[in-house]
Amino acid sequence: MSCVRAALLARGLPRGRAAICSAILPGAPFSQVSPLLPRGLHCSATPYTSTKSLVPRPSEPEKKPGKVPAPHEELFQRAPGSARDKASFVRAVQSFGQHNVRKRGHVDFIYLALRKMREYGVERDLAAYNLLLDIFPKEVFRPRNIFQRIFIHYPRQQECGVAVLEQMENHGVMPNKETEFLLLQIFGRRSHPMLKFVRMRLWLTRFQNVNPFPVPRELPQDAVELATLGLRHMEPDLSARVTVYQKPSPDDTRDPADSIQPHIVGIQSPDQQDALARHNPARPLFVEGPFSLWLRNKCVYYHILRADLLPPEEKEVQEIPEEWNLYYPMQLDLDYARSGWDDYEFDIDEVEEGPVFAICMAGAHDQETLARWIQGLQETNPALARIPVVFRLAGSTGELLAASGLEDSRQSQREGQEEDERVQRQQQGQS
Amino acid sequence: MALVCRFLSSTNAPRKCLKPCAALRLPPGLVAAYCSRSLQKPGASPGRASQQSRPEEGLQGHEPKEVTLDVPSSEEQPEVSFDKAIRDEVKDHLRRLKDEVLNHWVGPEGRPLHKVLLEQTRVVWQFRGKEDLDKWVVTSDKTIGGRSEVFLKMGKNNQSALLYGTLSSEPPKDGESSQSGFCAMISRVVRGAFERRMCYDWSQYNSLYLRVRGDGRPWMVNIREQKDFIQSKDQMYSYFMYTRGGPYWQEVKIPFSKFFFSNKGRIRDAQYKLMLDKISSIGFTLADKVDGPFFLEIDFIGVFTDPAHTEEFAYENSPVLNPRLFR
Repeated sequence: MSCVRAALLARGLPRGRAAICSAILPGAPFSQVSPLLPRGLHCSATPYTSTKSLVPRPSEPEKKPGKVPAPHEELFQRAPGSARDKASFVRAVQSFGQHNVRKRGHVDFIYLALRKMREYGVERDLAAYNLLLDIFPKEVFRPRNIFQRIFIHYPRQQECGVAVLEQMENHGVMPNKETEFLLLQIFGRRSHPMLKFVRMRLWLTRFQNVNPFPVPRELPQDAVELATLGLRHMEPDLSARVTVYQKPSPDDTRDPADSIQPHIVGIQSPDQQDALARHNPARPLFVEGPFSLWLRNKCVYYHILRADLLPPEEKEVQEIPEEWNLYYPMQLDLDYARSGWDDYEFDIDEVEEGPVFAICMAGAHDQETLARWIQGLQETNPALARIPVVFRLAGSTGELLAASGLEDSRQSQREGQEEDERVQRQQQGQS
Repeated sequence: MALVCRFLSSTNAPRKCLKPCAALRLPPGLVAAYCSRSLQKPGASPGRASQQSRPEEGLQGHEPKEVTLDVPSSEEQPEVSFDKAIRDEVKDHLRRLKDEVLNHWVGPEGRPLHKVLLEQTRVVWQFRGKEDLDKWVVTSDKTIGGRSEVFLKMGKNNQSALLYGTLSSEPPKDGESSQSGFCAMISRVVRGAFERRMCYDWSQYNSLYLRVRGDGRPWMVNIREQKDFIQSKDQMYSYFMYTRGGPYWQEVKIPFSKFFFSNKGRIRDAQYKLMLDKISSIGFTLADKVDGPFFLEIDFIGVFTDPAHTEEFAYENSPVLNPRLFR
């Protein structure tokens, strides 16, 4: 239950004072005083032991058999047959209000509901958070005089309100006017939850659309669509074309790794196609991978088709003949640089690597699947038939680009395979 | 060697009482360790070797030496004495001080003024060899008991740095932490002669430039100012660096005006501009709460002047949050 990840905003809130306040005001109708709770002492054990974190630590079910259940746990355990969705969450929250007219233990309940939100799939639902804030009794925790305003009034309730807002912030939920209205009604203008609210309104809007490579919030479930999205995400060239070389077999689309016919989706831009056509057939191409790509919280793996960097003597500069157009020359050798202060180049040799000719995402990372990708590429790139292709595949886990040392050791093992492959390619080229 | 100095200056008494017994000799084990350490880090300032946190280092540095003073010297040892080491150290520092003074005479950082003033770009950190990695420290939440792992090494082509590891957001079981999961790479503070902390002056540039290749994860770039008070040691200026992922290198340009001010990881209500003439270090943090492996390849880090960028500071202060600024 990692949804409860709120850290203490108002860490300075003195705990001792919280205890004193609640001890002084035992008769206050909505205070969280343990002896008054009808369920006995252990009910309020949770809030008092968790003095460090704002939200009590999530209880671990496998820890002890005789675990003390959190208060109000039974509200979320009712109706085992029904699905865990927003409707049942709302029902549970509403049943707290009916079950408990005086709203005793509402702070415990809100902490519990915050922890349960991810199970019910409502952690990104603003209405659910507003519903939780609505549990607080209104007008009770508003400070009424200067002293209450100076010393934090009802600190435990304020912390709880901050915890709700903090969880909203962690999930990127923007509070709205209703939240503001609720907070004003519950805690008043000069309170910690209200301060948190203002900060969220300020900063969440600033950083809302700051990502230059946006990924949709809901990733597609289909493997081919996900691969297409990932390939489009990686390729900076917008004119690149995505090709589905092989569709997954329809019987088990759920688990692409186990299916007999894994999906193969590739991307190639026209420039890469031209470069591949001009590639020297004496130099082999390499299929490398798998490399990892993260799309939000999903990791997908891709393979690339690349060549080694050409040695400088073999580099041929494609010259544009000047006579193409006499009036608008394609190339001008005028020195426009004014002086030293006009130089915007970094004084460094950038890392140069061999050209990448195509990228693919496949359901399986074995050589057989990737060979099928290369075969599919040959349809659009006839030059590929004459070029030997060497498979340099790292372990199945996709250990990033760091697998250089690993590769060297594998190189010898794969030598035989490579030779086979090369022979196979050349045969194909001749046929 | 600075450790030796520090040790001797802190405990003067044992040195005095041990001086009569002729040669102050270190046992071979320590000497070997010391030599290897200094061999590993020829570029880095001595004494600030591989430990991540300074207090620990101090402890570790002290303990073996206390032992050594009691151990009688064995037979064959290389000729190493405290006095000679101290003399060499002082000489080295004096030489560096002399270089600094002479460089200052020539111009800022030893380059003539007319060149520095005309410069529009500057490469600050590059990764072209093992010695460049010594300018960096990597940390993860292992320091607080978490399970993330992070490593830094040279890339496959030996021309870029590869930061890789595994992020795990499992909180440490210490009873008080409820969240965890970060990996970071921080540049070491530049040390001048006599271990003075130096800082970078980037006031003539207005943007940060990074050439990186990542795996689609968001990173945070943190810049620290050099501060004189210990209260401000947790303050830094941050902005996000989003990686595209894929096999292509990516150029990230972040204007310095975009960096926002935070203290202990919380954004401050009162925002101030980054003061570019006192930059102490830069760091990259990954803490996106997604468990799994990650990597980031860095080619170089530079600063440049973007003539099209005229923004002074991107964040206005709010009169609701800090009314004192508007009085």
